[in-house]
Amino acid sequence: MTLESELAALRTPLLRFAQLQLRNDSAAEDVVSETLLAILERPQAFEGRSSLRTYATGILKFKIIDLLRQRGREMPIEPLDEQSIDDAIDALFVADGHWREPPPAWQQPEAALEQHQFFEVLEACVERLPPKLGRVFMMREWLEREVGEICSELGITDNYCGVLLYRARMQLRECLDQRWFGGRR
Amino acid sequence: MKLLPDCREVSRLLSAGQDRTLPAAERARLRLHLAMCDACRNVERQLAFLRRALHGLGREDRADER
Repeated sequence: MTLESELAALRTPLLRFAQLQLRNDSAAEDVVSETLLAILERPQAFEGRSSLRTYATGILKFKIIDLLRQRGREMPIEPLDEQSIDDAIDALFVADGHWREPPPAWQQPEAALEQHQFFEVLEACVERLPPKLGRVFMMREWLEREVGEICSELGITDNYCGVLLYRARMQLRECLDQRWFGGRR
Repeated sequence: MKLLPDCREVSRLLSAGQDRTLPAAERARLRLHLAMCDACRNVERQLAFLRRALHGLGREDRADER
């Protein structure tokens, strides 16, 4: 297979990651095209120490970090329905602050990381997050940025950033519990 | 602030602890609650797992790859 055709096959998964992060179709298309072109322009930089997929994902992350740094504040994003998210978190607890349904342990989580299907479920769960939560969460956990950097690039306070991350983590925990680990107990 | 946090506050502290080092007093309250609460210990492990899983997104070179 030529490098071109291998890269063409990576376009769909890369586009999916870019969309999960940016929540903006045209920006995602652009950043993926830039990534593929950058690899084709300097094929010698890919030394085959990782898979091409891993290598391309790494380049994509750098491109997305740059894009968010330059345009993070102006990129339009659907406003968050704060009330409905607060209600969803309220529903997890009873009035005295205990769990309504105490979260059970997950069986063999490490084995899940070896399964392609698990990552499909994970992606679907991230996609279900409201855009604003998804973007901050992905910046923190996928791009591995520090909270201080995320806040300043998106123009939000540290405190609000922490609130968004908390809501995202609770929703994702719940989603994985229902859609993956719940069926494996 | 209650002497010991309830599960709801613990879930917030666990999330905050993934982003910054908690002050010693909060860490102590958190640890004592976790020592007594299976459900919150599960959540602690699950949040740590969530982080590992996201780091694997796109980096996975798995045997069952399409």
